[in-house]
Amino acid sequence: MSNRILPLELIDKAIGSPIWILMRGQTELTGILRGFDDYVNLVLDDAVEYSPDPRDKSVVVKKELKAEILLNGNHVAVLVPGGTGPEDSMAARST
Amino acid sequence: MSSAATDDATKAPSKDGNSAPEQNKRSPSDFLKAVLGRPVNVRLSSGTDYRGVLACLDGYMNIAMEQTEEYVDGQLTSKYGDCFIRGNNGKQCLSERNFSINL
Amino acid sequence: MFCKWESIVLSIGIIMEEPLDLIKLSIDERVYVKCRNDRELRGRLHAYDQHLNMVLGDVEETITSSEEDEETGEEIISKRTRNVGMLFVRGDIVVLVSPPLRTS
Repeated sequence: MSNRILPLELIDKAIGSPIWILMRGQTELTGILRGFDDYVNLVLDDAVEYSPDPRDKSVVVKKELKAEILLNGNHVAVLVPGGTGPEDSMAARST
Repeated sequence: MSSAATDDATKAPSKDGNSAPEQNKRSPSDFLKAVLGRPVNVRLSSGTDYRGVLACLDGYMNIAMEQTEEYVDGQLTSKYGDCFIRGNNGKQCLSERNFSINL
Repeated sequence: MFCKWESIVLSIGIIMEEPLDLIKLSIDERVYVKCRNDRELRGRLHAYDQHLNMVLGDVEETITSSEEDEETGEEIISKRTRNVGMLFVRGDIVVLVSPPLRTS
């Protein structure tokens, strides 16, 4: 039992490192994880948001938020510690 | 559970305040303490942004703001002297204009 | 908890401890209420509760809808308004409440 890692312990280890967040819906974010709480509300530095263009859903708009942000945990679906975002995963797929 | 259960994710963590935040760690409640009274950008999941001075907020993340400007798709659409934003509107993030609250 | 923040003194000089205080200050005033589904209400705030259920009087409701023109594909935005003497708003559709701009 004791050697089992709890999910939030994994996230705790990611503090200070890049993290990739997939929201419910289409939006994704990346940033440096500064902290989180029991509800998985997240504090991020240097956050970048990737969301579908409202006019053409096949186009992804990249937006640098240039801010420290608090992300509401309500809409968080998946966390990828160390992930640097969708561009990274596309690069990985092509190799 | 009460009908407020759906708002749980926006509530303050109960564990905060029992120890000084470790170096480089910044919990959501630390963040909110730091941005109180400062210019913030609140983004709803609809994509609408509200920029103004954060007056106060509560455990449901209801927010009161002053000198608020509303932006839809980056375009200024209206201004409010004071405004109240209800807590469970799928807010995505909150940032100070350098802090964002994605609610 | 959040409600233990030191009180913030608004520019108008009234102490606000929690966001709902802003609504309390707006009672019997005309307020603007933005709802989900592109509906807006302007009316006198008679009553509210912690869910932000509200009773408004002398209400003007504005409904904004957008349709796509079948021939040109252009987006047509239309606004309809109607007046209601008194209505109840369920809190969960409320996005934003703003008191009237105070003249300074």
